[in-house]
Amino acid sequence: MRLSIFRFNPEQDEKPYMQDYEIELEPTDRMLLDVIVRLKAQDDTLTFRKSCREGVCGSDAMNINGRNGLACITPVRELKEPVELRPLPSFPVIRDLVVDMTQFFKQYHSIKPCVIDNEPAPERERLQSPEDREKLNGLYECILCACCTSQCPSSWWNPDKFVGPAGLLQAYRFIIDSRDRATQERLDDLNDPYRLFRCRSIMNCTEVCPKGLAPSRAIEKIRLMMVKDSL
Amino acid sequence: MRKTVTGLRAWLVQRVSAVYMLLFILFLLFHFLLDPPHSYLAWHGWLMSPSVSIATIVFFAALLLHAWVGVRDVLMDYVHPLAVRVSALALLGIGLAAIAAWVVRILLAGQS
Repeated sequence: MRLSIFRFNPEQDEKPYMQDYEIELEPTDRMLLDVIVRLKAQDDTLTFRKSCREGVCGSDAMNINGRNGLACITPVRELKEPVELRPLPSFPVIRDLVVDMTQFFKQYHSIKPCVIDNEPAPERERLQSPEDREKLNGLYECILCACCTSQCPSSWWNPDKFVGPAGLLQAYRFIIDSRDRATQERLDDLNDPYRLFRCRSIMNCTEVCPKGLAPSRAIEKIRLMMVKDSL
Repeated sequence: MRKTVTGLRAWLVQRVSAVYMLLFILFLLFHFLLDPPHSYLAWHGWLMSPSVSIATIVFFAALLLHAWVGVRDVLMDYVHPLAVRVSALALLGIGLAAIAAWVVRILLAGQS
């Protein structure tokens, strides 16, 4: 298999370059991550993040042939050669395929990603009906891999002001949670010209999400809640 | 306390104006297909009837508001230096206001 991989070591290289690799596929190479892990045995300077290797941790998000995805759940057989691997677009590169996610997590934290309930705790646990729990499906599964946010043009132009699809999906996850008591504050916080309304419904986020989630639908639902709230 | 600068209002203006413009254009298309005016006078009379002229004024108001929100969004996305953006927004506002004045002049001239 032929690969062309983005290389950049800020301590040595003046500017990034693409390095070509050729590797014989083995029967055990089912996913792209299997291949690049073996590639690292050949060239130990090649740097990338990985952990669970089964699409749960979100560490190995990268741009694969122009499209963001997780290397560990991208089947090798479906890839067109040479496979072009680049770091997540628009994120600052630390080295090779490793990017700086500080801004991404700052936006995530800005939506206060936890249930807010300042009322006195009940004697037993806070219950949620099965119907209310059902509303969290398609939202709680996000693994924060940043594939969506890194592929979103609105996030490219205003990464510091626009929350981005991953953060907004999580915002909706807490807005719709029946146990959360800060719904109004959450809606007010997002109702400014930038935080939510930079979204142009381009829908790259939903297109690339490796978990099959739909941030664009969550954003639409937040907007509808704001409209209802303002009437 | 509610914030004074929101994103919802501009978004709503853009959506509502788009729906109105679509309906108005469909109305124009159907009118000219089903009952086309046969002379300039007939067309002029139709356009100056109160209901059509009000609908036309609302159409141009919707068009200008829609353009304002749309171009403002593009400037907010791409033009980051504050001074340049404020100047560009001011130019846009002046340009759209001039077009609005021109529309009003044409429609008023038609009344006489």
